[in-house]
Amino acid sequence: MHVNYWDELKGDRMGRAGLYMTGALAVVALGASWLAPHDPWAYVAPPLSPPSWSHPLGTNEVGQDILSELIYGTRTTLLVAVSSALFSSLLSLLLGLAAGLFRGKVERVVLRLVDVMLVVPVLLVALLTAAYLRPGIPGLVVLFSLLFWPPGARIVWSQVLSLKQQGHLTAARHFGAGTWYLVRRHLVPELYPLLAVNFIQVVRRAVFMEAGLAFLGIFDPSIKTWGLMLHYARDFVFTGAWKWWLLPPAAAVSFTIISFALLGYALESALDPRLRRHVHAGN
Amino acid sequence: MLEINDLTVKYQTPRGALPVLEGINLTARKGEVLGIVGESGSGKTSLALAITGLSEGRLEGSVQFQGEELLGKSREEWERLRGSTLSIVMQQAGEMLTPVLPLIEQVMEPFLKKHPRQKDEAFRRASAMLHKVGLEEHSFYRYPYTLSGGEVQRALLAMALIAEPELLILDEPVSSLDALSKADILTLLEELTGECTVLVISHDLSTIARLADRAAVLYCGSVLETGPTASLLQAPRHPYTRALVRSYPSLYGLKELQGIRGEFPSLGERPGGCPFHTRCTQALEICAQQRPGTVEKEGGRNLACHRGGVVELLRGSGLKQRYALKGKGKDPYLEAVRGIDISLDEGEVYALVGESGSGKSTLGRMLAGVDRPYAGTVSFQGQGFFQLSPAETKKAKRDLQMLFQNSGEALSHRMTVHELVAEPLFIQEVGDPQTRREAVRRALRWVYLPDDEHFLNEYPHHLSGGELQRVALARALVLEPKVLIADEPSASLDASVQAKVIKLLLQLQNERGFALILITHDLALAARAGDRVGVMHEGKIVEEGPAADILRRPLHPYTQSLLGAAPSIGGANLAATGMPSPAEPAVAAAEGPNGKPACSFSPDCAHSCEECFRYVPPLVRVGFQKVACYRYA
Repeated sequence: MHVNYWDELKGDRMGRAGLYMTGALAVVALGASWLAPHDPWAYVAPPLSPPSWSHPLGTNEVGQDILSELIYGTRTTLLVAVSSALFSSLLSLLLGLAAGLFRGKVERVVLRLVDVMLVVPVLLVALLTAAYLRPGIPGLVVLFSLLFWPPGARIVWSQVLSLKQQGHLTAARHFGAGTWYLVRRHLVPELYPLLAVNFIQVVRRAVFMEAGLAFLGIFDPSIKTWGLMLHYARDFVFTGAWKWWLLPPAAAVSFTIISFALLGYALESALDPRLRRHVHAGN
Repeated sequence: MLEINDLTVKYQTPRGALPVLEGINLTARKGEVLGIVGESGSGKTSLALAITGLSEGRLEGSVQFQGEELLGKSREEWERLRGSTLSIVMQQAGEMLTPVLPLIEQVMEPFLKKHPRQKDEAFRRASAMLHKVGLEEHSFYRYPYTLSGGEVQRALLAMALIAEPELLILDEPVSSLDALSKADILTLLEELTGECTVLVISHDLSTIARLADRAAVLYCGSVLETGPTASLLQAPRHPYTRALVRSYPSLYGLKELQGIRGEFPSLGERPGGCPFHTRCTQALEICAQQRPGTVEKEGGRNLACHRGGVVELLRGSGLKQRYALKGKGKDPYLEAVRGIDISLDEGEVYALVGESGSGKSTLGRMLAGVDRPYAGTVSFQGQGFFQLSPAETKKAKRDLQMLFQNSGEALSHRMTVHELVAEPLFIQEVGDPQTRREAVRRALRWVYLPDDEHFLNEYPHHLSGGELQRVALARALVLEPKVLIADEPSASLDASVQAKVIKLLLQLQNERGFALILITHDLALAARAGDRVGVMHEGKIVEEGPAADILRRPLHPYTQSLLGAAPSIGGANLAATGMPSPAEPAVAAAEGPNGKPACSFSPDCAHSCEECFRYVPPLVRVGFQKVACYRYA
């Protein structure tokens, strides 16, 4: 069976919505320096100014432009989320492949590790580690990558097991193919769609967790991020400023999570028949 | 006793003296009938002419009859000899009868030549001889042009025998006759050739099989194989003899007719070295360079082949495979293959038949080296396959290919046709991208698929089942393997496509000359396709033998029941036996009273007795077949 995922995605209403939304986010993140009206770190107006033409969302307690902060925050959020998703998916792929291909001890170690990781509350670990280490962006990416790989690895492992029984792998092996060839030409291409879904899910989780950690104040304060904006805005809830200071970053987080959720949902529904088929074949 | 030693006959042609016969060594004892078989143009008639002194070519070597050297005799001496000690019935000799003399006078002639004055005696003998060959008196005075072909042949025979020759040479005695006259003449010949030494020359194997005690196979002026007729024809050892026997239609063999691949070389274009090497499936370099000497083999067989006759390519001994039924360790095992010995010769088609679950595919996968057997060995070209180093294994896999059962599954849906067919070349690191592309195109043409860019870039899901199967076949053949193991190549296809794929497979087998193991559940197909058929039942081969024999005379009750149950549309089955149809694998019944596993078919067998439950019947030889049943043990 051969599915054109791109067409499937475009054909689906939610998929299309997700694509547009994530596309918009990407544009904002990439073009932050041109889109932002002001330098978000500069003192541009009196603190806590209400919205005006030059500062559509007003300023914060140190006189920085909130809209510019919001735009630069998109960049941070996407950077952290996408790189964490990339690295954790890579980890999932490597460990899942190793477990599925080599079986034996490797498999036992990887799977037990997955089990352990799955029962540990990820948020708590992240919170404690982040609070202790106070990581910057790279540190956060490493932390997220290490925390988010287990579900993906387990999916890859089970897929590899069922793929290994498939005719075209047997055939290739019979032609004399080595393990590396099988991985490159037969396994990884088959795993791509699964990894894509996994990737989107990790992005979603990373966005949420990054915002959460920053909201709790465990983040480098010099970096512009939505979570930190929420963190600082919380202290000024009693003033009217929450309407243009607290709500926009909260909406941005929701928007991002929703956009990736839509994308993920559409991708998964495109893949669903395949997944079902493999579950049967595996049994 | 006729002795031919190192006889060479050369014909003068505008292109120089070309040898039509080279280094012929033959002997025929007194009273023996020696058959000479060969295709037209192989030099059969030249041999006959050389022995009777009628050859126009230059002769070398020696031809001795009863110790007397015949070569180099004068014309007169030959005349005398031909009248008395040797006579010849020429091919289409009807044309050589004079149309102006009545038949009996022509029959009298040879006798009168020997005894010029005894005309009465000649007449007496001639009429007796004509009676003997089955001609009525009213025919005696008829002119040759009023006689039928059969009558002419009879008259010629009478002419040849009247002088009571000691050496009779029959050149294509019956080939121009219809089946019934042929049978009559053959019966006659059997009766008449009592005392004298006879040389029968024919391209017709059935004539040779009927008349000759021993036979020699002639190809391009060389004798490739000699031996007792029965064993020569039933178990040919030279690749050419085998190919010749395979080309011969028979009523019982259902096998599709296949000619010998390549073209018969004309006199001027005869290849050097072994004359057959251009059409042989197992030719080595030496075959093109050197003429093979004749080597004596057991059973009175002589063979001229550098490789010692047809080579055994693949052998599995004591093969066993088992799968854990549930979990691992002490859980019961499913014995899928329970000790099988099997061999495959170069260029042979072996059809493996059995119902689903009999272990055919498991056996095929072990033989192909896909799965490692639990016990037993597989040797490929004389080397233990599973003992090879990884590099050697990779190399061996070039020559040992498998066509997997479900071709759709075996083709990755993420690759284009070109990538799929080129995959084995890529893995085996054969050639560069350009030559690989050419090889892919060639392989696609073999299987009658388009080889244009558009098709090369198609994905499997755009192809039909028949096309997929052919892509898989092209992929299996692109490395030009020596052995192909095809696992149910047609099972998943509808009838018309099925027929096409099978036909294609067999045609390719013949053209490319690879050995084929055809795994099928269809006995009819197996008999049509296979040189040999092996019947499997619950992990064992219960019967094995030439396809024709298995079909005509199935020995094992299971084979009989398979034949009885063979699917047919309209009309009765081949062998409608009242056997129960083979039921579910009876695991419980396979355990005998004393705990030993017994004959696996016994629970369903109409002939089963206590013996069957007690002992595993060994595979014993019955004629050319082998069967595992206590009734033959």
